[in-house]
Amino acid sequence: MRRVLVCLLAVLGCAGAVRLAAVDARIPARWWSPGDGARLPAYATYPNTWGDVGILNTGGAVATKGHAFFEPIGANGRACVTCHQPANGMSVSVAAIQERWKATKGTDPIFAAVDGMNCPDLPPGDPKSHSLLLERGLLRVFLPWPPARDDGTSVEPEFSIEVVRDPAGCNLNPRYGLNSPAPTVSVYRRPRPVANTKYFTHHNFGVFPFVGKGPLATVRDPETGLPTAMNMMADARVSTLKTQAVSAAQTHLGVAGALDAARLQQIVDFESQVFAAQVSHRAGGSLMEPGGPPGLGVRNLAAGAAGVLGNNTTQWVFPVGEVWKTLPVGAAPRDAERNRMRESIARGHDVFMFRTFWIKDVQHLNTVGLGNPTKRTCSTCHGMHMTGMDVANGWMDLGVTNLPWAREEPLNPWNERKPQMPLFKITCKATAPPHAFLGRVIYSQDPGRALITGKCADVGSIVMQQFRGLAARAPYFSNGSAETLRDLVDFYDRRFNIGYTSQEREDLINFLSAL
Amino acid sequence: MTRQTAVALLLATASTSAAPGPHRNFVACPIVRDTSTVPCWLAEYEGEQYFLTLQTDVSAPVNPPQLGHQVLVEGVVSNEPRICGGIVLKPVVLSVLPELDNSCSTVLPAEERYNLTFEPPRPPGPSKGRLAFDPPPQAAAARPAPEAAAGPRTFALQYDFDGLVAFRHAQQLQQIYEFALKSKTTRVEITAYRAASMLSNDTLFAEREDIGRRRAEQLASLLKDAGLPGVTIDVRWRDAARPDGVNDAALRRAEVLVK
Repeated sequence: MRRVLVCLLAVLGCAGAVRLAAVDARIPARWWSPGDGARLPAYATYPNTWGDVGILNTGGAVATKGHAFFEPIGANGRACVTCHQPANGMSVSVAAIQERWKATKGTDPIFAAVDGMNCPDLPPGDPKSHSLLLERGLLRVFLPWPPARDDGTSVEPEFSIEVVRDPAGCNLNPRYGLNSPAPTVSVYRRPRPVANTKYFTHHNFGVFPFVGKGPLATVRDPETGLPTAMNMMADARVSTLKTQAVSAAQTHLGVAGALDAARLQQIVDFESQVFAAQVSHRAGGSLMEPGGPPGLGVRNLAAGAAGVLGNNTTQWVFPVGEVWKTLPVGAAPRDAERNRMRESIARGHDVFMFRTFWIKDVQHLNTVGLGNPTKRTCSTCHGMHMTGMDVANGWMDLGVTNLPWAREEPLNPWNERKPQMPLFKITCKATAPPHAFLGRVIYSQDPGRALITGKCADVGSIVMQQFRGLAARAPYFSNGSAETLRDLVDFYDRRFNIGYTSQEREDLINFLSAL
Repeated sequence: MTRQTAVALLLATASTSAAPGPHRNFVACPIVRDTSTVPCWLAEYEGEQYFLTLQTDVSAPVNPPQLGHQVLVEGVVSNEPRICGGIVLKPVVLSVLPELDNSCSTVLPAEERYNLTFEPPRPPGPSKGRLAFDPPPQAAAARPAPEAAAGPRTFALQYDFDGLVAFRHAQQLQQIYEFALKSKTTRVEITAYRAASMLSNDTLFAEREDIGRRRAEQLASLLKDAGLPGVTIDVRWRDAARPDGVNDAALRRAEVLVK
């Protein structure tokens, strides 16, 4: 029996090792440094562990020399491209960050103290000072407390916030923390992909003058006066490409004052025409073949309709079609392997669309009229045609950052790893509407949208991400808590007690890797 | 069966369907029962199980309640066949009570005897044949023609018990806002009410004392934030009329007068 067990463990170990090797292999890819000056082609592909991601500039090749997105326009040597790398689907992967650390011995501008360090006053050059960026791909996001409106006035929060754990040392820091002269909350988040932006800046379905979840009056574009989709950034604190660029230039790039109109427009113009999606799959082959699935590949993505709620009648969330559902085995072993993967991707799509489970205790999902629980599918929340985001105002508390669901380090005498993320205790006022499923005392690694609105019901709500180019930009979730696509799927399986079969899990992962 | 008996039965049926059935107003934990298609929502009162609604989508007239919370049920016993084992309340108004109640956690498994005998309005997954946000043809045909944008006009918002503006109110707020803009009004008056429900056990179930004020102030704040330049918004709040156990849900309201 013991021998059998050893063999079994060995098999599991081997399987695990293979899986890790497949997912974690470091493939060198082009790192775009600020001021590089090279031309970004109209269409370029970059390798990742699942195949290749494609970057399509529908406006044609981009001359990056002197371009505000690609030049170091602030004080710390960074450019927008620093954290929005073409090779990483216009986000940045933790693998690329680690490569960069090795290549520059920690001197690359991405490691700037302001947010590339766990807290700006930690010793520079020490990997421990950058552990959240190096290990989870997280940048520090520092927000005023209480929240400030655009006009500088303070929001009266519905809750108090207390620091329970501060491994990064910033929230209790006398200069940068909650009790500093300028009280600040530091949370740690992944940079979001700056690509496919027409999908999250649209003015179509779901964009109204009022947002039911909240409730609140929709933030309007200061230039056009039109309501926005409020679907950008983890907390929707800005809602147009231009206001995001202004904010990011000041906080992340160290730009003093406002960017001039010409450079702002250059950034917005670039971001409005760049698309990113997986274009080839290591086992499934090309995702761009004529006659292939109409939702895969970057050219189909660029041509898609923005602001459409997906369905399975006229506009699927991710149109995959029937073409890969049943394929011939193929004469050559390579063809057979390719076809098996394509069939798996097609099955994974069906898991995404049709596999029901009980979606339970999600603030701003189960509270918007669907009931708690609701027996639905992945596509219920991830419903926007072509991206899998919510179609507008896509914040909800899935449990990524709130306990009891957030990934926490197990504490016991045999585990030497220590918690990395801060932990806050949120205590809501008795008069405030509570968080529907966590009540009035909530423990959170990142209160998310509540740090902007001050509302108890928003604690832990995070704007959901797009699904395109996933293979190029691990880790996942706003706090980088899923290292791989498997971890991502496992989170949902655990969170909602889905009970995926191993086949369903594998198919879903393969599907996600092909987006 | 004689012809006379049949006529008597028909008359009895007609009589039953014409007169409203008894009201059932009670607070309970909701119960969700799985089926082979969509789940049913039920609640128990005095040893009887009542059917509240099916899982549909956010555009449905009745939204399902939430486990983790008690629900105030205000309904009328209908003579429709039981659904999922429960006596059908129709019409029914459901209010999810805001405070957590973790004892409300019952999920019943699917049983063949409780399968739905009709096609649910929406399947559990994506929209299948019908698009979730397309109204049924008869509803589209019944849609009123757009009204002229001339004031004054009063809009009424109905609330959940102890509730403030909810997801479903966004469209109504939009109507008020757009009417105010089009009519070029300079004055909006908001009157919000605190109400109570007369439960079937003769208990008066009253909303929190400050809810009228909060409803009024929240509406004013939302309209102001949306941008109504040059518009004065007056707010007032008061207690609604005493409930009679028949139409109590309608007392939980706010009226927005766009002058």
